[in-house]
Amino acid sequence: MEKIKIGIIGAGRMGITHYAIINSHPDVQVESIADPSGLVTTMMNKYLPVKTFKDYNTLFSEAKPDAILVCTPPALHYPIAKKAAELGIHAFVEKPFTTKYKEASELVALYTQKGLVNQVGYVNRFNDVFVKMKELLDNNIVGEIIRFKSEMFSCTITRSDVSSGWRATHENGGGAVFEMASHAIDLVHFLIGKPDKITGSSLNHIYSKNVEDAVSATFLYKTGKSGTIYINWSDTSYRKPTNKIEIFGTGGRLLADQHSIKIFLNKPNEQYQLRQGWNTLYITSIFKSVPFYVRGNEFTRQLYHFIDCVEGKAPQNLCTFIDGANALEVIENIFKDYEQNGRI
Amino acid sequence: MRPIDKIILGDNQFFGINHMSEEKAQQLAEKFYDINNIFKVYQNAFDAGIRAIMLNSNDRAKDICNHFRNNKSKYADISWYPSVPYPHKYANLVAEKGIFPAVNEILFKDNSTMGVLGMVAKGGMAVFTKDAMAMMKMLVDVEMKMFKELDIKVVFLQNIITDLILGYGVKEVFYEYCEHIRKKYNALPGLITQNLPYLKAKLEEWDIKEVVICSSFNKIGYLMSPDVESYVQTAKKNNPADYQLMVMSTMASGAIPAKDAYDFINQQNIQSVVFGASSERNIRETVSLIKI
Repeated sequence: MEKIKIGIIGAGRMGITHYAIINSHPDVQVESIADPSGLVTTMMNKYLPVKTFKDYNTLFSEAKPDAILVCTPPALHYPIAKKAAELGIHAFVEKPFTTKYKEASELVALYTQKGLVNQVGYVNRFNDVFVKMKELLDNNIVGEIIRFKSEMFSCTITRSDVSSGWRATHENGGGAVFEMASHAIDLVHFLIGKPDKITGSSLNHIYSKNVEDAVSATFLYKTGKSGTIYINWSDTSYRKPTNKIEIFGTGGRLLADQHSIKIFLNKPNEQYQLRQGWNTLYITSIFKSVPFYVRGNEFTRQLYHFIDCVEGKAPQNLCTFIDGANALEVIENIFKDYEQNGRI
Repeated sequence: MRPIDKIILGDNQFFGINHMSEEKAQQLAEKFYDINNIFKVYQNAFDAGIRAIMLNSNDRAKDICNHFRNNKSKYADISWYPSVPYPHKYANLVAEKGIFPAVNEILFKDNSTMGVLGMVAKGGMAVFTKDAMAMMKMLVDVEMKMFKELDIKVVFLQNIITDLILGYGVKEVFYEYCEHIRKKYNALPGLITQNLPYLKAKLEEWDIKEVVICSSFNKIGYLMSPDVESYVQTAKKNNPADYQLMVMSTMASGAIPAKDAYDFINQQNIQSVVFGASSERNIRETVSLIKI
């Protein structure tokens, strides 16, 4: 069988990680990579069996990939993905997918019409703990959901002298909302669903001049449930990026992070052999191994799933452009709410 | 190949790292805020017969190294197993600045020497690309500074780096790293990995031998890709003269009771166990259970 020809566009941190992971897949050949940095491409040229290009247009016309991984700064995702669709190329696009909801919706329509595989890099959908949590919620473990709290913390931006490059502006997809809150928002969509209204949004500058370093917002649903998100990427008390989610329902409460799920139940659950009161499911009893590990099982699983979809082996993609567009719609509503109501 | 110590005390517990629970990690971070509490644990380990320390090159490791260096006569027979780099420092810097500015900062932050980017601007890109391997060695040397004058047995490359380069399949990096460690530090090269079977197969294919490989090894397959059985078979077929296998996460962050964990480990063809514990009782118990 001929190998799937992969092109990688953007050789920053994610491009470099994805390359190593997908390169381990037996059905795949990473054939081409595009990045404007001469340093990166010269180095890759020297050590790796890959064709390098300065821009994606040349990559498309010369390397003719079957599928691409788009890992550029977010503002470039739209023109790249659009061009790929026109050429009939399947696309995995890093989060936050695009910088505008309108462009995201256009890409959804384009890929649907062309019948091409499309996936967004919301990696939590492939995380062992959150997948388990989704399964538990789908089986009504805490009854009807009433309240939730989705939080993310890291010590990514801890100095004020670094507002340069694409991360410095919203137009280019920089800031804690696009880069980090997008994960927490998607996690809410994955586990609970998309909100009908955003309110109480606030953005804080801690070190960054032009973009926010912390954000919070309240999500409201027509069904009556509600919840909050809070994201802070300048919190030095966190050694590494941490997701926390808490869900309160009529039947109990769930608390999860990447390590475990704590479950309080009002009544025992026989299906999952959970007691009344507190139970803990640790990652060590939940995880499923992956064939090759670089940076967490979920990173391998999401790219192998993309390949499964390209090969027609998966019934449906688990994180499509529609999910990417949904997160962007919420992001735009948070910005809008903050502009209209967030300032005193 | 010089045999490595059978039992080595690790460092995760000192730095607020616990794969199973954030709360537990936080408690440990508080407990070890006072560095004297770290030294007490080391003393307990020495009293239990341990003579080897594995330590990641993070900021706190500097103070630990200073203590041992300043009291060298007291700790004459202790062997060191440093691991480099401290991954989160790099991850954050790269996220903030991009890959090359991050490298630049790490290499030249404390030096008056012109930065890499300055070199690149001056001498063109060739300086960098021609010397990618030299750059890698410089990065290792920057991290290794803190271990100066300590008796170093193995220098490990952290798994995030090992497995990234393994994914790329670039032999040169592994070869050059191993040679550098042998020559510059008169120590054995070590590679930490989450993909033991695949790494060992590639090293054999590339004829890179006399390497210490460190990986998780436990009966439930936690942090072991692709699975337990492949690890057991890889160890079984291994000749320790080519590769010494050091195992970690033997109790899978506490998911496996100590006795069960080591009943399994003791049956494997492995050369060394590195474990993290902070109470005297746990250290003594673990030492008594390891029979490899």
